[in-house]
Amino acid sequence: MKTFLQESGLLENRRQFFSRTSTGIGIAALSSLLSAEQATKNKDGLPELPHFAPKAKRVIYLLQSGAPSQVDLFDHKPSLEKLHMQELPAEIRDGQRLTGMTAGQKAFPIINSPFKFNQHGQSGMWLSDLLPHLGGVADELCLINSMYTEAINHDPAITFFQSGHQQPGRPSLGSWLSYGLGSETENLPSFVVMLTKNNFNQAQPIYDRLWGSGFLPSKYQGVKLRSQGDPVLYLSDPGRLGARSRRKLLNSLEQLNALREQEIGDPEINTRIAQYEMAYRMQTSVPELARITDEPQSTFALYGEAAKQPGTHAYNCLMARRLSERGVRFIQVFHRGWDHHSNCAGNLPNLTRETDQGSAALIADLKQRDMLKDTLVIWGGEFGRTVYAQGNPASFGRDHHPRSFSIWMAGGGVQGGLTYGKTDDYCYNIVENPVHVHDFHATILHCMGIDHERLTHRFQGRDYRLTDVHGKVVEAILS
Amino acid sequence: MCAPGAAFYMSTAGQLFAPPRRSLLAGLGSGYNRGIAILSGFTECCHQTTVFPMKINSIPCRFKWLPVLMWALVSGIAHAEDGLRVDFNRDIRPLLSNACFRCHGPDSNKRQAGLRLDQSQSAFAELESGARAIIPGDPVGSELVARISAADPDFRMPPAEHGEPLSAEQVERIRLWIEQGAEYQTHWSFIAPRRTALPFVKETSWPRNAIDFFVLAQLEAKGLPHADDADRQALIRRLAFDITGLPPTLEEVDAFVRDSSPAAYERLVEKYLASPAYGENMARSWLDLARYADTNGYQYDTERTHWVWRDWVIHAYNQNKPFDQFTIEQLAGDLISDATSDQILATGFNRNHGITIEGGVIDEEYRTEYVMDRLITTGTVWLGLTVGCARCHDHKYDPISQQEFYQLYAYFNLVPERGQSGFQPSLQAVSPLAARKIAALATTIEELHNSLAVAKEDDLKLEEWASALANGSFTWRVQTPVTATSSGGTTITPLEDNSLLASGANPQNDIYEIQFTTPESAITAVRIECLTHPSLPGNGPGRYQNSNFVLTGFLLEASSIADPSQKTNVTFREARADYNQKNYEVRLALSSDKNKGWAVDGPTRKKPATAIFVAEKPFGFQAGTTLKVILRHEVSFGQHGIGRPRISISSAAPARLSFQDIDAAIVDAAKLKPGDRTAEQHQVLRTYYLDNHGPAKQIAAEIARLEKQRSASFPATMIMRDQENIRTTHILNRGQYNQPAAQVFAGTPQVLPPMPDDLPKNRLGLAQWLMSPAHPLTARVAINRYWQQFFGNGLVKTSEDFGNQGARASHPGLLEWLAVELASSQWDVKNMVRLIVTSATYRQTSHAGRENYRKDPENLLLGRGPRMRLAAEQVRDNALAISGLLVNALGGTSVYPYQPKGIWMELNNRPGFSKEYPQGSGKDLYRRSLYTFWKRTVPSPMLKTLDAPEREFCTLKRSQTNTPLQSLLLLNGPQFVEAARHMAVRVLNRYPHDQQKRLAYAFRLATGRHPDATELVILAEAFDEQREEFEQQNGLADSLLAVGDSPPDTIHDKLQLATWTTLCRLLMNLDETITKG
Repeated sequence: MKTFLQESGLLENRRQFFSRTSTGIGIAALSSLLSAEQATKNKDGLPELPHFAPKAKRVIYLLQSGAPSQVDLFDHKPSLEKLHMQELPAEIRDGQRLTGMTAGQKAFPIINSPFKFNQHGQSGMWLSDLLPHLGGVADELCLINSMYTEAINHDPAITFFQSGHQQPGRPSLGSWLSYGLGSETENLPSFVVMLTKNNFNQAQPIYDRLWGSGFLPSKYQGVKLRSQGDPVLYLSDPGRLGARSRRKLLNSLEQLNALREQEIGDPEINTRIAQYEMAYRMQTSVPELARITDEPQSTFALYGEAAKQPGTHAYNCLMARRLSERGVRFIQVFHRGWDHHSNCAGNLPNLTRETDQGSAALIADLKQRDMLKDTLVIWGGEFGRTVYAQGNPASFGRDHHPRSFSIWMAGGGVQGGLTYGKTDDYCYNIVENPVHVHDFHATILHCMGIDHERLTHRFQGRDYRLTDVHGKVVEAILS
Repeated sequence: MCAPGAAFYMSTAGQLFAPPRRSLLAGLGSGYNRGIAILSGFTECCHQTTVFPMKINSIPCRFKWLPVLMWALVSGIAHAEDGLRVDFNRDIRPLLSNACFRCHGPDSNKRQAGLRLDQSQSAFAELESGARAIIPGDPVGSELVARISAADPDFRMPPAEHGEPLSAEQVERIRLWIEQGAEYQTHWSFIAPRRTALPFVKETSWPRNAIDFFVLAQLEAKGLPHADDADRQALIRRLAFDITGLPPTLEEVDAFVRDSSPAAYERLVEKYLASPAYGENMARSWLDLARYADTNGYQYDTERTHWVWRDWVIHAYNQNKPFDQFTIEQLAGDLISDATSDQILATGFNRNHGITIEGGVIDEEYRTEYVMDRLITTGTVWLGLTVGCARCHDHKYDPISQQEFYQLYAYFNLVPERGQSGFQPSLQAVSPLAARKIAALATTIEELHNSLAVAKEDDLKLEEWASALANGSFTWRVQTPVTATSSGGTTITPLEDNSLLASGANPQNDIYEIQFTTPESAITAVRIECLTHPSLPGNGPGRYQNSNFVLTGFLLEASSIADPSQKTNVTFREARADYNQKNYEVRLALSSDKNKGWAVDGPTRKKPATAIFVAEKPFGFQAGTTLKVILRHEVSFGQHGIGRPRISISSAAPARLSFQDIDAAIVDAAKLKPGDRTAEQHQVLRTYYLDNHGPAKQIAAEIARLEKQRSASFPATMIMRDQENIRTTHILNRGQYNQPAAQVFAGTPQVLPPMPDDLPKNRLGLAQWLMSPAHPLTARVAINRYWQQFFGNGLVKTSEDFGNQGARASHPGLLEWLAVELASSQWDVKNMVRLIVTSATYRQTSHAGRENYRKDPENLLLGRGPRMRLAAEQVRDNALAISGLLVNALGGTSVYPYQPKGIWMELNNRPGFSKEYPQGSGKDLYRRSLYTFWKRTVPSPMLKTLDAPEREFCTLKRSQTNTPLQSLLLLNGPQFVEAARHMAVRVLNRYPHDQQKRLAYAFRLATGRHPDATELVILAEAFDEQREEFEQQNGLADSLLAVGDSPPDTIHDKLQLATWTTLCRLLMNLDETITKG
């Protein structure tokens, strides 16, 4: 039986066809066109960036949603021993805005941390005993005990940390970095987000907008790397086409698209061809990335057995290292469950158990791979917690506290073994070196070689930036 | 080639400056580059040098252009009608705005040295220093010139920290302007548009309507060609997508290609404009502006029902509601005298903002944000101004003071609403799309009611049913409470159905004690029904504000009536409920832990719930039992009492117990022979039979179903309402809700025409003022946005900003002409659409060649037809349409098409607030994307990947990106894979035997055009290659054909169908398939 091609006289191998026609383009030409396209696409940062030599090439930001208690973890206050169960003086509270949850409370008894603190490393950094692993890398840490923010509720506060503005609509930190610096890899997105599985009923929700691109083009938004289903949405073929047929399918697609580009001349078609190629590469690179079974046992000794479980904080820390190795610019891990309005003493150890080893391991791991010097690791929540008890002092909780809290950084651009900023004896007000969220952002950008005042985007007639019209680089913590 | 004027400038300027080339480039690269992008190539000379910003470096050396000439060319100053004059609005204002207004502009707080350069009065006046910034006619004496051209960085303006110095060209431009008298002009967009004369064109045969004169005149001025007409296959596809959002059918394509009559195209336009799909497509863009979503945005992002308003928008477009009415009803429909329900519903526009339910928020802080959102949205949509900039201080660039911002704010500040859970005021309105359906329903229901009356008397089969019932022996007996008390002071009122309604105080903890007596002595179980009531929060079952309850303890004490000292505390072996909230299962009500109990997802599920407690062993006393039921509500977060409990008991064997059963009295009656029943018993039995089992039952069920259908069209929709004197408006210091300063009253900005005295001083007046003929912005802003819908860019590229920092129009005369046309055509939107799509400009081919795309990547000169990737919704709708899966139903509740599992809960899994994505089934999977449930914090990944916004705020223009994630979605998204399977079936059905015809047909379905020979070869080979793969790998075809919920095809050969499905996937991924070209 003759095929219709034989009948129609069109029987000709299409590769011959392309190599013979003068108007068609051959596969070789096509592939060179693609690589040229990629070359421009993957460097699609702003031409004037970086503004100066960066200390860090990438950022890993372990965001602790719900707000961890600095009183019990970082901000060591021996003075609280004596103040325990005393009423917080009104002049210390000093008109502080309260949330709707403790606004009606009649007494504000100070609660000393039930957890011991000890000094670690050569720097003698004070850390809670709840963080034994972190103690092991204390000399890499730059601990800021004088962070503050204006937001008092979770949604605006975390939106502020992620985008420099309390209301939705601005680009996230990661999308600013992708927009400014472009990508280092052709196989993966430049901004990747991971969520740890939430085990805590009362955990705060998070939102897509936290890694959104706001008014920047939407290609700069973060891409979620998931621990269930496809790691990247729609990565795998539900029809389970084999690699060979997929490749063939893409070749046919490229040829048809390339013909169209010839006919019309719209360069967007070449971009589309390139995107299909990157999608194809991601189908290999993402499963390879997620294949942690190729890690030696020493890795799991470092990160803990939990790192074998997709969706744990430790697993995501390990993935963050793997993403760093593969050139991803901004990696953000969201961990939840720190919102301890009651039973602080009972809940906190659960949370530190979930997070301590993984985050400390990440630092040690990057260090041993000589990557810590150009990777900036950040750990912290959206505000702090009150020194006074919420509810019954016996089973105390702690309410939201935007006036002072702690965040640590490590690696590219910041000094290790440094404890920066100071709060008063009540662990309530900052008395030395306050660091605002805008300063925090300015400093991160600085480490990445960016002058925060000069990374702008014109929208609605105004040049917007991550730090709005504020922000000062915290020079004192820079390495 | 250059106009004579430009040559003159060259010689003049040449004597003044011989700047290095670098400064020339700097000037172009900085503040003015937007102007250049738009205005470049205004003359033939420019055409040769291609002055796009990124191409600057390629300017050939032989052009030793001088800066002024450069500017003259790029700014189009050589136009004859402009003479040789520097034009303030065109040439100077953008410069000053960008470089100077931040410190010397409208913002009075930040103004330096008392100098204001946006107004002549201040600019010409003597400064504190004694100098004068501008002395008209005397550039040498003007301090401004000295400062901007100073070499000393300490003296030079703008200061280094505020940006680059002005270029030599820019300085010269300002110098010339001052020399020519420094004439100020009102910003162009603040002057009412005037109908402009059509410009002269050489090729008079090309224009089809006024639009084309403006476009062609500019192309001719640059010596650029327009493109040829698009061929008919391409044109109908472009038109269909632009008007209906859907591809044309192949029958429509063929008919149009065949129709050689001169009016064929115009007829097609009318057909599409009349299609209901037009309203859906137009609504899509409007919903972006209106920030429409199905959830509340903040925190847990809970659901809202606002889709009835969305239907209003679709209906309004399909009715071709004039844009002035469209505006007035949405902004102030509630204030129109004798407003109809539809008009009030329209005001839902300004209730589309996010609403928080977060526990700890301060009410006023969020209420303030809602008002801000309304004002900023309204300002963006109708004024095209960034009014929001004046929230904290006077606007830096535009003449809107902070006080004026709050005067506008006052219009929106009278809504009786709260910050926390501010879902009121609301209105139950009928979806205008359902109006006809509702009327038809009402008729059917009425007819059914008539037949019901007859059926209700039909008791022929009563005894047959009664004996079946008698042999069943199972029942619940509802108990009549003797006493009912609350430990916390709740008022408990018995209702006729023996339920107990809680009202009044809602204490933190509450224990209800309910006593009743019964003759039964072998009770096996107790049932508690938690019923809903309109007086309870949200008409739900619980007393907490979110409708939930938590039953933390259920206790029962039985005592003998004869001898009250005989008592037992009944123990239970089992608790069951017809609904359990996760982690709040009913068994927890039997535990002694006060913080654990039974809850029923009140926030999301406002329905009754029933629990059964099964005793360890039957209990009760001979000669009667007193029962005391104790319901404890002691959860730490408080106020979670049951709203309306009703208690029943049963003596049936535990295995027989079900949640709902027939009342015991009826069963007792059924057990008796007909003659032994009392009249009362007979009546009870008969009534129950007729209501539930007789022929009336089915009719009643049908009525109930239809009633439900009818009421489903009426969920409450949030609306606007003004309450007299509800609150005063103050300027808010730094925009902070808690820093009110001076009181202000509703009023409009001074720079715009005053509001006529006869208009009411409220939102209605504001809306009417916007639509008044003198208003300079409304028509321009609106038509610019409609233009953007068709061409990708507005004539003013910054469609969101018509202020000082906004772009100038690429075709100023055309914008004026269209704005006047819109207003003078009684705001007829379809007329404007018709004008645009019937223009020769629109009908050009987009096949313009690489050189054309390189020179004008954004097609700002309109020298070719528009070519853009389809909008997110259109991409998906197209796949559904060409596969034949699309379900075309208009309006209604939002639907839940395919979505990867878990993406809602991974972000937010708070019990009681969160739920899994309730993926739909059947038709709901294939509705138009406009109806996809829009969750703000987790938008549909199908739409989001294709650049749909979150809808957290007003979006005027979506990004147009091209990413690998889009490729993955189109390749692997189950929606698309399933659509490819159906497309394959369609192809095989159409041509059962002819492979080549199939290939051509499939290609046509995807692209709307016939493939050429090369394309056919590629497709045929692709088919053979894929076929080989399926032949080689067992089971591969099965997994592919199983994708999607729709039933598998059983007719076609599996290998054949799988190969065709793969080929259709290929076609669905073509650039052309997802592009309007």
